[in-house]
Amino acid sequence: MSRTAHRLIGPEEPLWAPHHPEADPVSMHTLGFWLYMMSDALIFAALFAAYAVLDHPYNAAGGPQIRDVVHPAGAFIQTIILFTSVFTYSLSMVGLKAGNRAFVIGGLLAAVVFGAAFLGLELRDFARLFAEGATPDRSGLLSIFFVLVAAHGVHMVFGILWMLVMMVQVAVKGFTTAVVTRLLNLRIFWMFQASIWVCIFVFVYLNGAYR
Amino acid sequence: MNPHPADPLDHPDVRNASAVGFVAGYAASVGLMAIALMVTLQHEMSYAGFVIAIAILAGLALLAQALLMFQLNLSGAQRWKTISLLLVVPLFVLSIGLTGWMFHTLYPRTMLDFMQVQGNGM
Amino acid sequence: MLVHLQGAWTPWLGRLTLSQIPYNSPIVLGAFVFALLMAVPIVALFTYYRRWGYLIREWITTLDHKKIGVMYIIIGLVMLLRGFIDGVMIRTQQLLADGPRSAAHLQAVHGYLPPFHFDQIYSSHGTIMIIFAVTVVLTGFQNIIVPLQIGARDMAFPYLNAVSLWLTAAGAALVMISLFVGDFSHAGWVGIIPLTELPYSPGVGVDYWDWALQLSSLGTTLGALNLITTIVMMRAPGMRWFRMPFFTWATLSTQTIGLTAFPVLGVALALLSCDRYLGTHFYTAGLGGNLMLYTDLFWIWGHPEVYFIILPAWGIMSEVIPTFSEKALFGYTVMVAATLSIAGLSWAVWLHHFFTMGAGPGVNLVFSVSTMLVGIPTGVKVFNWSLTLYRGRLRFETPMLWAIGALFLLLVGGLTGMMLAIPAINYTVHNSVFVVAHFHTMFLVSVFGIFAGLMYWFPKVFGFRLDEHSGRRFFTFFSLGTVFVFAAMYILGLMGMTRRLDYLYDPHWQPLLIIQEFGIFLYCVSVFYFCKMIYVSIRDRAKEAHGQDVWQTSRTLEWMTQTPVPFYNFAVIPVVHGRDAWAMRRDSGLTATSPDQYEDIHLPNNTIVPALLGGLAFGFGFGMVWRIWWLAGFSLLGIIGLVILRSFADDKGFTLKAAMVRRMERNHEDTGIMTDHISPPVAELMLFQ
Repeated sequence: MSRTAHRLIGPEEPLWAPHHPEADPVSMHTLGFWLYMMSDALIFAALFAAYAVLDHPYNAAGGPQIRDVVHPAGAFIQTIILFTSVFTYSLSMVGLKAGNRAFVIGGLLAAVVFGAAFLGLELRDFARLFAEGATPDRSGLLSIFFVLVAAHGVHMVFGILWMLVMMVQVAVKGFTTAVVTRLLNLRIFWMFQASIWVCIFVFVYLNGAYR
Repeated sequence: MNPHPADPLDHPDVRNASAVGFVAGYAASVGLMAIALMVTLQHEMSYAGFVIAIAILAGLALLAQALLMFQLNLSGAQRWKTISLLLVVPLFVLSIGLTGWMFHTLYPRTMLDFMQVQGNGM
Repeated sequence: MLVHLQGAWTPWLGRLTLSQIPYNSPIVLGAFVFALLMAVPIVALFTYYRRWGYLIREWITTLDHKKIGVMYIIIGLVMLLRGFIDGVMIRTQQLLADGPRSAAHLQAVHGYLPPFHFDQIYSSHGTIMIIFAVTVVLTGFQNIIVPLQIGARDMAFPYLNAVSLWLTAAGAALVMISLFVGDFSHAGWVGIIPLTELPYSPGVGVDYWDWALQLSSLGTTLGALNLITTIVMMRAPGMRWFRMPFFTWATLSTQTIGLTAFPVLGVALALLSCDRYLGTHFYTAGLGGNLMLYTDLFWIWGHPEVYFIILPAWGIMSEVIPTFSEKALFGYTVMVAATLSIAGLSWAVWLHHFFTMGAGPGVNLVFSVSTMLVGIPTGVKVFNWSLTLYRGRLRFETPMLWAIGALFLLLVGGLTGMMLAIPAINYTVHNSVFVVAHFHTMFLVSVFGIFAGLMYWFPKVFGFRLDEHSGRRFFTFFSLGTVFVFAAMYILGLMGMTRRLDYLYDPHWQPLLIIQEFGIFLYCVSVFYFCKMIYVSIRDRAKEAHGQDVWQTSRTLEWMTQTPVPFYNFAVIPVVHGRDAWAMRRDSGLTATSPDQYEDIHLPNNTIVPALLGGLAFGFGFGMVWRIWWLAGFSLLGIIGLVILRSFADDKGFTLKAAMVRRMERNHEDTGIMTDHISPPVAELMLFQ
């Protein structure tokens, strides 16, 4: 017989916790969203695993190698633009701390502009490759190259959409609990794009160019 | 949900925003990536050495972002985020590392033209 | 980019034409009549008793974790029946199509099913049983029980919980509609590559399988983060980590797997979709594709998924066995460690599903050893359950019978698993029905766990017990069926019978196939007793009605709530003083204590949005399957628009006044999940008032 079950509850011990404070909604939502980002990170882990398998001369099928399709210097400009976008979003969090709506909206606007610039460069890059005939259906290697980079790009598109919505919500609703929670979640989401891009830049663009 | 009495702006997740930390995180990320770019463009290392070098640089950049941008730490507000990240990182290593390893051993055992393709491709 | 398909395509209907509806197949027609026979009375009853409004107000729009859990379980049981019928058809075909002299019926050359149809049936059997039956029912249990066990009023994100349910329902609906519109995948539940590639499967079957899995896996991922957050953030005061009921620990491990493994499935399927829709070359045989990459990604998910299915069942066994042994779970801490280590190890064993791929001996060795390592925590669990039984006051009520049955099956399945972990043996029996028998034994551990849980918690949720008499017969016939079908299957596997055969060439297998068919007959009898059990229980519900603690020896917090559980769960959040909180209160003579003061309770309003999102997700899936681009695009935009729109609506929630809570707690009539009680109103309806 277990000993724990035999400890009896004393008469002085409280049985109920009326007005027990429920979990703080901001912490709960940011944790939930963080966990979602962990699962999102595993999407990229799986894509990188696929990249590790398909990044082999055999998988180029006689077509272009990664070093033929990437330009590290151009990608570095994209990198700086993306980091700047994340940085301006972070600064808007400093504005949030001060409760300054205009500051927050301005920071988000800058993040949107830089994010869109990043996507513009990426699309220009893709258009150039398509014009050269380096399309995703050319080889397994190009398939994973395009899908990996585009998966990051699709995340960026949704991030920008989300930021536009949040700019309206900050302006209309002010800093309610829900709006602040969403801003914090979006911050996680947006910074996460920079972290993923570090991996793509280093392991796809730089590593590919070196080979 | 119970309307929480506190002002959301007083929440630790909002409070811990720090301009200094963000500037440092930004500078570290850009700087490390710039070094990685230079290492690549100079093209002086052996491939193995290069991979180790850029992997370390990427790891440092990710660490800088985790600590300075995401501001992960073991405080009450961030504890579970940090723990969940630490628990998930091994899964990245397992899924990518073991996959890479098994296919690395598979190719020479199954692809007859492996040696020839490798000779042309590398 | 977009793959050009052979065959008809119109902008409005995509690939859908009238000829895609297989009305000329007698079997599909029979299935249609059967579905109609099931559906028409239900629709008629709802209309006759004017219950549609109730259904929408109280169920479709609900955010109550218990009702969502019940709906999960209903979906799961319906799919279980469908999967079972598929199983019966597979076994019957193999019985009839044994040897060159076997007779031919209907449109078949051997047996009664043409190969293409047979292939669809085993594919849908596997997909349905794993993804839409067992997984879904277990998710339902976790939804219902975990918030109750940790003393919470609801999940962390009730709205997201409903979204997960409706995404799963959308996936299940895609599988179901594939029966009557078009066809289902013929490439096995694992999606044998490159058979799933467009040149070899130009039809819509693989697309149905693909999108159904994709939708339900998204639902599972969202459900996982919800349950983890609930357990981390919403435990009652005093509920420290090592005071949590064991089922909650099992759920935490399970959902950690769910959160991390399902995205990998999403990637494996998304890359396949890219191949099929955009003409990329991830898994193609030529142009630089690597088809083993699919197998690798699939099993990176697939093996953790196995534990995603088995861990909650072990959690249920760990609740049922102590209750009916009238003592605490033996070695609680070790059990927790074992569960967590199984969840961790599940990420390092997946190659054992394709030892024969041809990876180097070092790789096979590492995965073989890591697979065997799983045996250690599993063995620990078996011993702990046995030691819980040892010198307990055993009561063999139906939940206990199922739990002990699961224990025996686990022994068989676990030991054959150890055999399969040895690459040399694995090479020999690879792709034989020995493997099939092994994993069916393991899945049946889950199924036994599910039925244990169903019998155990049914009175808690609905307020009356399931009929013991038919329940025992159900258990007896089900267990006997299991023995006959799978003992014979192990032997057939060792005799060299391979998987997925629509025609068996060896007449020597006939006797064992007949034994298997006899087992299937016993299963059919058990299904009859299951239906009878449900019918008799509902008929005699007044007689079998019970108070809060029906088993009298249960140990965990869910038994402290009123029965049936009111929608707010706990009128006042209880304080937890130790492990097995309810048993402690009972030992202290505190079961009848009610709080002396009540408080206002805040809950979210009901909302139709999650169900709409599920409907749009179904529309998206259906549009993609048939390449009806406008439908897919419209549904996707609809989902995004609805999410944005909802984010602008501030749900003030619903407040139940303390006086009302007191009244509801004192006379139990207003509570319960089947009654038309006071529950949060539908937010969208309030706009019109």
